[in-house]
Amino acid sequence: DRSVDLSSQLVRINYKMSLSNTGSSGAVKTFLFGLEPSTNDKVAFIGAAVGSSDKTYLRVSETKVQAHMDKTFYKIELKDAISAGGSATVNVEVVLGGAQEMYPAVITQKEKQFSRFIGNLYAYLPYSVTSQTTTVTLPSSNLESYTKTKPVSVQDTTIKYGPFSNIAPFTAAEMSIHVENNNPMLVVTNLLRVIEVSMWGNINIEETVDVKHNGAQLKGSFSRYEFQRENSGVSSIKSFKTLLPAAARDVYYRDDIGNISTSHMKVMDDAVELDLRPRFPLFGGWKTHYVIGYNVPSYEYLFYKGDNHVLNMRLVDHLFDDMLIENAEVRVILPEGVTDVVLDTPFPVKRMPNGKHFTYLDTTGRTVVMFQSVGDLTENHIQDFQIQFTFPHRTMLLEPLILVLAFFLLFLLSIVYVRLDFSITVDEGAQAKMKVAGYCEKVASLQDRRSALYQAVEDAMVKLKASKDLSVFQAALKKVASDHKNETTAISELQVTIKNVNQDLGEKVNELQRCDKIYRDYQAQQAVLVEKLVTGKLQKAAYLDQEATLLKKKTEIADKINSLIRAF
Amino acid sequence: HSVGAGLCAAGMIAIVPGYISRSVAGSYDNEGIAIFCMLFTYYLWIKSVKTGNIYWSALCAVAYFYMVSSWGGYVFLINMIPLHVLVLMICGRFSHRVYVAYCTVYTLGTLLSMQISFVGFQPVQTSEHMLALGVFGLCQIYAFVEYLRANMTPEYFNILFKSLVIIISSIIAVGLGVLTLSGKVAPWTGRFYSLLDPSYAKNNIPIIASVSEHQPTSWSSFYFDLQILTFLFPAGLYYCFSKLTDHNIFIILYGVFAVYFAGVMVRLMLVLAPVMCILSGIAVSSSLSTYMKYLDGSGSQTKAASKQGKGRQDTNSTQQREGTAYLFVVLMTFFLVTYTTHCIWVTSEAYSSPSIVLSARSHDGGRIIFDDFREAYWWLRENTPEDAKVMSWWDYGYQITAMANRTVIVDNNTWNNTHISRVGQAMASTEDKAYEIMRELDVDYVLVIFGGLTGYSSDDINKFLWMVRIGGSTPEGEHIKEKDYYTPSGEFRVDGEGSSTLLNCLMYKMCYYRFGQVYTETGKPPGYDRVRNVVIGNKDFELDVLEEAYTSEHWIVRIYKVKDLPNRGTR
Repeated sequence: DRSVDLSSQLVRINYKMSLSNTGSSGAVKTFLFGLEPSTNDKVAFIGAAVGSSDKTYLRVSETKVQAHMDKTFYKIELKDAISAGGSATVNVEVVLGGAQEMYPAVITQKEKQFSRFIGNLYAYLPYSVTSQTTTVTLPSSNLESYTKTKPVSVQDTTIKYGPFSNIAPFTAAEMSIHVENNNPMLVVTNLLRVIEVSMWGNINIEETVDVKHNGAQLKGSFSRYEFQRENSGVSSIKSFKTLLPAAARDVYYRDDIGNISTSHMKVMDDAVELDLRPRFPLFGGWKTHYVIGYNVPSYEYLFYKGDNHVLNMRLVDHLFDDMLIENAEVRVILPEGVTDVVLDTPFPVKRMPNGKHFTYLDTTGRTVVMFQSVGDLTENHIQDFQIQFTFPHRTMLLEPLILVLAFFLLFLLSIVYVRLDFSITVDEGAQAKMKVAGYCEKVASLQDRRSALYQAVEDAMVKLKASKDLSVFQAALKKVASDHKNETTAISELQVTIKNVNQDLGEKVNELQRCDKIYRDYQAQQAVLVEKLVTGKLQKAAYLDQEATLLKKKTEIADKINSLIRAF
Repeated sequence: HSVGAGLCAAGMIAIVPGYISRSVAGSYDNEGIAIFCMLFTYYLWIKSVKTGNIYWSALCAVAYFYMVSSWGGYVFLINMIPLHVLVLMICGRFSHRVYVAYCTVYTLGTLLSMQISFVGFQPVQTSEHMLALGVFGLCQIYAFVEYLRANMTPEYFNILFKSLVIIISSIIAVGLGVLTLSGKVAPWTGRFYSLLDPSYAKNNIPIIASVSEHQPTSWSSFYFDLQILTFLFPAGLYYCFSKLTDHNIFIILYGVFAVYFAGVMVRLMLVLAPVMCILSGIAVSSSLSTYMKYLDGSGSQTKAASKQGKGRQDTNSTQQREGTAYLFVVLMTFFLVTYTTHCIWVTSEAYSSPSIVLSARSHDGGRIIFDDFREAYWWLRENTPEDAKVMSWWDYGYQITAMANRTVIVDNNTWNNTHISRVGQAMASTEDKAYEIMRELDVDYVLVIFGGLTGYSSDDINKFLWMVRIGGSTPEGEHIKEKDYYTPSGEFRVDGEGSSTLLNCLMYKMCYYRFGQVYTETGKPPGYDRVRNVVIGNKDFELDVLEEAYTSEHWIVRIYKVKDLPNRGTR
């Protein structure tokens, strides 16, 4: 049984063959499959399988046979050899690209698009075929003409030829079908797929796509009015759907002049569906160009054991249904510092020499594995390829280290720079100022310590009031007195030096000393008062009165000291 | 002036819409850099005038070089600085510092600027630079005279001075006259006439007048771009006058001239914005610091007053003053806050959306994006031959070149206006005449912008009168008369009452081709133009020499293909 599916731009021919070994002895391990010379160069994909529900794919390879040097054959290796007299069923799928011819090749906007397919009425096999039928699935029921070789029957959108019996090897008869076909004839003329692998857990995929509407060319003018109001231009392509892997994130759709604002994204369970609308509807012969890109996490595609890694990704991905890619180039940008790169593809490709790619902080450049497709690619070619490479994990630290080093050097330089004096003349004023500022700071800190001592006296007085223990209080006062003397002499010494440098400041320090002395006196008086109170020499009321006046004086002088200190 | 004024000015310039319009991403132009260069040059100039230091003057010259390399508006700068010197001279403030500064800046700056190929020998040839050169000469004479005066008795000096003045001025007058007549010194170019006399361009060079940026600024746009700065500006001027120094004179001069130029041309709002900010900064900080004094000291003052128990009246008056100060500060804060909100609003509304992608609100509040320009340009890029030549009005020239990667007949470089005029003639002529012009210019595609379906008002029909004027401004286009395109009552109308010349010209036909069948608004007949709010006058016509090649989704961009000449005998 043979079925020919014309319902898209591709031609899918499915051969369901029952093979029988009629020889008397010996098992058959392989058999030959042939296609008529006219379609041979349009083959985009050929595959064979055994079984109907769970298929087992068989190995298919192209060969030449001595007796028929002008023909190309495909050698299909069977899984189980057919013994003499035995039989087996094999499915062979052939996908032809560009086999449908637009007829007429030029239409106006209002007209419908027709396509014509010319094929072989019979299977072109090197064996004699006992019985065969051909079923053709049509894209529409508007059938213009078809080959009427009997027996034939037409039913809605299918044509059925056959059964024909006992057909000799290499029998050919023209089967021509001319039918209305408004399906998108969208062809990818160029695809550049760049996969950039980062060892930090991300893989970026960017596809640069040139698409062309390969249907009947638009003749005459394009009228937006008719397109919008009269729904003409049925063969034009307004939008198409692209399926991305389910893990795709940060998807973008743009071209050279920026984001294309007409697209929708739908996240589904097993894929991310993009509804892409080109900037303008594509009519026959029109083309456009766009870029689509996204990120996927690397754990789904990158596997490693020690330093050995394997990248397992799709060679091409889904762009739209029934796609046909004429030229594809895949570039895989591996991390910097990989070695021992081995490429393994599911079907033959044209390998090109490795390139180099430089991004930020790269030193030796990243290895780029590049290869191009041979012949057309279809959805059947969405298969995985593998790249093995060795990548020592510690090289990942190289780039952060470069950054760290660079910043370290920068800071080191600036540290050195600010510490060096590049001026030709020595700036006396500035130096003196700095010196004085240093002295002032010292004075201020000394003053701080003095006020801490005063605080200690205050504390001691409070304690005395509570405990009435005079001896402890006396001891505390003594200690404070000696400490205070030390600080005061230190300040006086400083005052002399400051005065040498800056007269004004010296005066100020002098003033500070004077105020401090007054404060100290007041505090001494207060201490005496407290002592008197504790020993009972003074009445409580009188004490309170005297203390109040003292306290007021104290705060005034303290304010003065504070403002002096602040003025430094 | 003061740190506060500087801070205020910096804060204002950071958000002033007049400047953001050029520096925001998207509209970023070399003018954005140029304004920085200009201010930097001014800063260094003031610095050098203040110090009289060759070091600063040399730096100023280098900054001037930077400015020259970034923007043609450097001419403003090279006139501003000599003017400052001149005014200083007249005020009797001329000193050795100014002499040193100006001589260094002028000689070095001119030499450096001549390295730029665009400038070349212009500094010594064109009249725009004459002021600088003249002031330079004057400086030398003045300094020489001063020197003589110092070394001579007054009587002798007077005789010498008078004779010198007469001789030198006559030499200069004769020399200038001869040079101008012999063509060595270029006469004033159109752009500068239009600066000095706003009506000059309109009367003589339509192409200069047609650019919306070259229109005189309206009051509303002053307010829109500067808001309270407009009112603070005089206050700042007042503060500058009250403390007249060399650099204050410069700020005053700069401010006054910038206001004048900005009034002549919208584009020069850019030059005005910084000085507005500076002067307003001065005004705000000076007035605030005046009033803040009362607020700052008021706490301790009142306390002291009450403690010492002085007269009640005194307390009252301080309290009153405090109240006014409070009121003023609050008012000023309020103004500054409104300024900020206004700036943010203007920036987000007017200057942040890309002009190439339009957006509108639909009835249900959703956003509709009109991406028609890019759609059409991308179509041109992908689906026309690579050597195709596109004719459009010159506004879109650079866009088409950049986005569609196609050759255009005229673009935004308005140097060659006879070519632009030719395109204007084609657009304004009937189809047959236009076809001849298009064949002559070897045009493959014609692109027009049409807003009638969406209500996009800056389309080619609204610009059409300029095309007519520019088309009619050259000898070849003398048959195109502006008044032919008006109705007898002098109106420009595209409906049934419009003039027949207009309804049959190429531009009209390209814009409204097949538009007569389209229903644009409910309740209106087909062919209702939403920009001009009329039903178009000429609905059913076919194009003979053009065919519609592409029309974008919302009809904003329409592209026509010029048909080849018909084969002989088929007609």
